Amino acid sequence: MATVNELLDRVQDLPALPGPALRIINILNNPDTDLNEVERIIKTDEAIAMTVLRYANSARYGRPGRTFSLRESIARLGTKTLMKIALQCQICPMFSQTGTSYGLQLGAMQRGSLAGAIAAEEIARDLELEPELCFLGALLRDVGKIVLDMFATPEEMAEAASYSDTSASFLQIEEQVFGANHAEIGAELASRWNLPERIIEAIRRHHSPQPPGEEFNDPVCDVVHAADVICLWTGIATGFDGLQYPLAAHVRDGILGTRDRAEYYMTNMWARLTEAEAEMNADTAKGMTA
Amino acid sequence: MATAAATYTKPATDGKIVVGVADMAVTNDPTAFLVTYALGSCIGVTVYDPVAKIGGLLHFMLPSSKIRKGQDDSNPLMFADTGVPLLFKSVGNLGAVRNRLIVCAAGGAEVLTNDGHFKIGSRNRTILRKLFWKNNILLSADETGGSISRTLTMNMSDGSITVRSKGKESVLWPQ
Repeated sequence: MATVNELLDRVQDLPALPGPALRIINILNNPDTDLNEVERIIKTDEAIAMTVLRYANSARYGRPGRTFSLRESIARLGTKTLMKIALQCQICPMFSQTGTSYGLQLGAMQRGSLAGAIAAEEIARDLELEPELCFLGALLRDVGKIVLDMFATPEEMAEAASYSDTSASFLQIEEQVFGANHAEIGAELASRWNLPERIIEAIRRHHSPQPPGEEFNDPVCDVVHAADVICLWTGIATGFDGLQYPLAAHVRDGILGTRDRAEYYMTNMWARLTEAEAEMNADTAKGMTA
Repeated sequence: MATAAATYTKPATDGKIVVGVADMAVTNDPTAFLVTYALGSCIGVTVYDPVAKIGGLLHFMLPSSKIRKGQDDSNPLMFADTGVPLLFKSVGNLGAVRNRLIVCAAGGAEVLTNDGHFKIGSRNRTILRKLFWKNNILLSADETGGSISRTLTMNMSDGSITVRSKGKESVLWPQ
């Protein structure tokens, strides 16, 4: 059975994290960095600059009858929002051409990445955790599926899913078929990109966060897990794997807590996702949710 | 072909009218297919009048609209208690006759373990049954529960319903 590294070594064209995203992540991970660097990255990347302009002039941030220039937009949005926009703009498209082996239409994984990030950011704000870090961890949580998508056809994945025990976690099914699951593969990929350890662990543990008191417990992992479950309930980017993942007891009883809170996160995520897609003018029309 | 009588009529693209999450479509176009993808804990409800060939599909997310009461962005199609009445009203506006309607449902799945008190899929199924029971509506066919994601399609030419999950398609109605 192949190890995670052997699997990754077999891939000719491993997904690469865009340079500007890496630079932003380094800034996020190093509070002493000069924040003007964010502005420089935005000004030198046309795609990010265009997105920043769209955001600053959107219904949410703009002002009727007034169009803001890039310089004004940067000043209006603030560094943290700019970092978030830049990460979203760079990372979401990595998911745009993947997911077919999971029975998803193109665009569904991209939407799932953003939906999880939005939910994670909201939960982190409520918990007064690190919203940008949780946003990033959730954006990247399913990056391992991009790799597994290269190994299987939809027919092979559907067959594995059909003949498996439906009470088993889909992670186990991936392990049986590929030798590793998408969470482990994603974590190893993030490690090869030299991402911060907390992001690597959030990817590795987004379906299995460790409870408090255990080694590797990190509230960031808990938040990313909660955000992932919110997406599963909503059906976003659920393919052959469906909802075949567990909900960790400490996240169920802690972060999600009550029905009202869980349902509020679902409805809020959905409202903000549709708003963000309109702002991004993304190609993730609702027909691509499967 | 759809008339402007109802708010939720949408034109078909490549023969398909795609219904998103917290969304609905009604039509009287017999050549169209109403489809909704990736039903997780959400439920897709279809109604079809076989005589008038008028039908509709609602994809609701949660049982009760109370959760977003008073919010500016509240969407009635997000919830069973507000979405289902709108579905029946909208097909009625197009000319469907209520006692001829064939009603089907799919979705309402749960995550694997430890869902505990949330049981979103199960509560979605319960409220739907209560709503139908209160209003004397018979559910002709349903496929709900489990941990699978489902795609629900209604063929407007004859009202037949198919459910696709794990790459396999099955006919939900007629049984």
